Amino acid sequence: MAAVAQKSRFGGAFWTVLAWVVALIFFFPIFWMVFTSFKTDADAVKPEHLLFFKPTLDNYLNMTENYDYWRFAINSVITASFATLFALIVGVPCAYAMAFNPSRHTKDVLVWMLSTKMLPAAAVLYPMTFLTKNFLDVFDTHFLVILVLCLINLPIVIWMLFTYFKEIPKEIIEAGKMDGVSTWGEIKDILIPLAWGGMASTALLTFIFCWNEAYWTVRLTTTEAATLSKLIEGNRAPEGLFFGRLSAVSTAAVGPIVILGWFCQKQLVRGLTFGAVK
Amino acid sequence: MSKRRIPRLLQTPAVVLLLLWMLVPLSMTLYFSFIRYVLNSTRRPEWTTPSISNWRGFGNYEYVLFSARDFWLAVQNSLFIVVCILIFTVILGLALAILVNRTFPGRGIVRVLLISPFFVMPAVNAVLWINMILDPVLGLNGLAVGGINNVIAGLREFPVLGAFFSMWPEFEPVSFRATQTSAYAVIMMVTWQWTPFAVLIFMTSLQSEDEQQKEAAILDGASAWSRFRNLTLPHLARPIAIVVMIQSIFHLSLYAEIEIVSRGNGNKNLPYLIGEFTTNNIGAASAAGIFAVILANIVAIFLLRMVGKSLMD
Repeated sequence: MAAVAQKSRFGGAFWTVLAWVVALIFFFPIFWMVFTSFKTDADAVKPEHLLFFKPTLDNYLNMTENYDYWRFAINSVITASFATLFALIVGVPCAYAMAFNPSRHTKDVLVWMLSTKMLPAAAVLYPMTFLTKNFLDVFDTHFLVILVLCLINLPIVIWMLFTYFKEIPKEIIEAGKMDGVSTWGEIKDILIPLAWGGMASTALLTFIFCWNEAYWTVRLTTTEAATLSKLIEGNRAPEGLFFGRLSAVSTAAVGPIVILGWFCQKQLVRGLTFGAVK
Repeated sequence: MSKRRIPRLLQTPAVVLLLLWMLVPLSMTLYFSFIRYVLNSTRRPEWTTPSISNWRGFGNYEYVLFSARDFWLAVQNSLFIVVCILIFTVILGLALAILVNRTFPGRGIVRVLLISPFFVMPAVNAVLWINMILDPVLGLNGLAVGGINNVIAGLREFPVLGAFFSMWPEFEPVSFRATQTSAYAVIMMVTWQWTPFAVLIFMTSLQSEDEQQKEAAILDGASAWSRFRNLTLPHLARPIAIVVMIQSIFHLSLYAEIEIVSRGNGNKNLPYLIGEFTTNNIGAASAAGIFAVILANIVAIFLLRMVGKSLMD
């Protein structure tokens, strides 16, 4: 018995070390990006300064000058926030009705909503460009980016909210109905306080998806409403000359989102599997 | 009466918005795919307007399938990239999920480190990998190979060992921007980004595994492998299927990575090819787009059926 315990303790240490090593390997590219961002552009490509160098904040201080970072960052913040807000405004009532007053068709409607998410974006690239450029004249506006981000995330928002709302006992809502509370009152006074956590994590996750979106935000903007995805994609081939400053602007573009992501890793499963994995 | 009307009213905005979002652009694509429509043509200026008189029937589809230079290459590439990513993420994801699904010191931090790549935006992911890591001269790839070469050159100076090492060739770093290798770069960076997703889902599912059954198996003397094979794997069948399907849908429309790594040179996938057609030949772009829709739907139907089943319980 003692031998078994001994062996498993040793085995336990081995697996623990392995888990740590693998995790560090996975994190390494991000670490390397942050690490390089403190090197000057010249140091970043010199093998002798691979690990030892004089750290500098210049890359961060010159971000506005080099890349006009803040303009893109502000665009990202504006579009992602408003898209999230609008998706919730449209999504909450819809998910509420579906969770508490399901009809025969609710299930089909939900599945259909999800199917809109599975349309390959490239298939409608030209029609979208044509509509927004020639027809509606909204190409490269914040309005357009917000609308598109809101629409591509709406199915996920509704699905997530639906799974959260379904966890609320129906009796509570029905008791409210008995007391003669209006629909708006039900949402405002019963649903929102009860499902606050679920709604917050839905919002957080939607914000992250909006921030990272890289197809429509790049295709449907030029300068006015261009987001950070567009900024990075525009500087994709620095030919080694600007590794330092490119690392800094990349770090600034993903840093806040990676940290936000740490807080909603649990909700990610629900958001991406549509409640099909528990 | 109003009892039924209010829920319907609440759902209307979402349904109408999504209906428009789905139907309007897609029906335009469908229409464009049946007409001759190019953006620039001095020879046939009438083709530059999307008019019904330019009707071409299935001509665009025939062109895309049989005469367009890169269509089959693009389909092949799309599938190759997706299948490789799926194999790597599922196997790595399973291994890591089991590895992390125990209590050990610092588990929370390990989870946070492991999950981080998933939140990196695709554009940054691609720029970071192709430049700072995989560049054959200035990236870690080039530096590592250079370092190995230096070590070998140093070893050649030794009396006896030198004879052995002088037979070694100088190593050449692989360039991941070349035609054949850029697909590997894309596979690598997307695997890095999406393995955390698989880990998260498998871990969530592992936590709902029946512990008693497992303990009974241990008492019966079942080996770790047979416990994994006969208990854990069947339990994970459904999450694996879901990971495979969701990733297929996402990676079939991979774009930013392809464009940043190779600017599509030689290594285009279907969305990239459609983007190329879109610069001039809208008819062909639309026909290729319809093929992309069909390809995505083949996967989507299975996924939707599965998700739909679990919906009401």
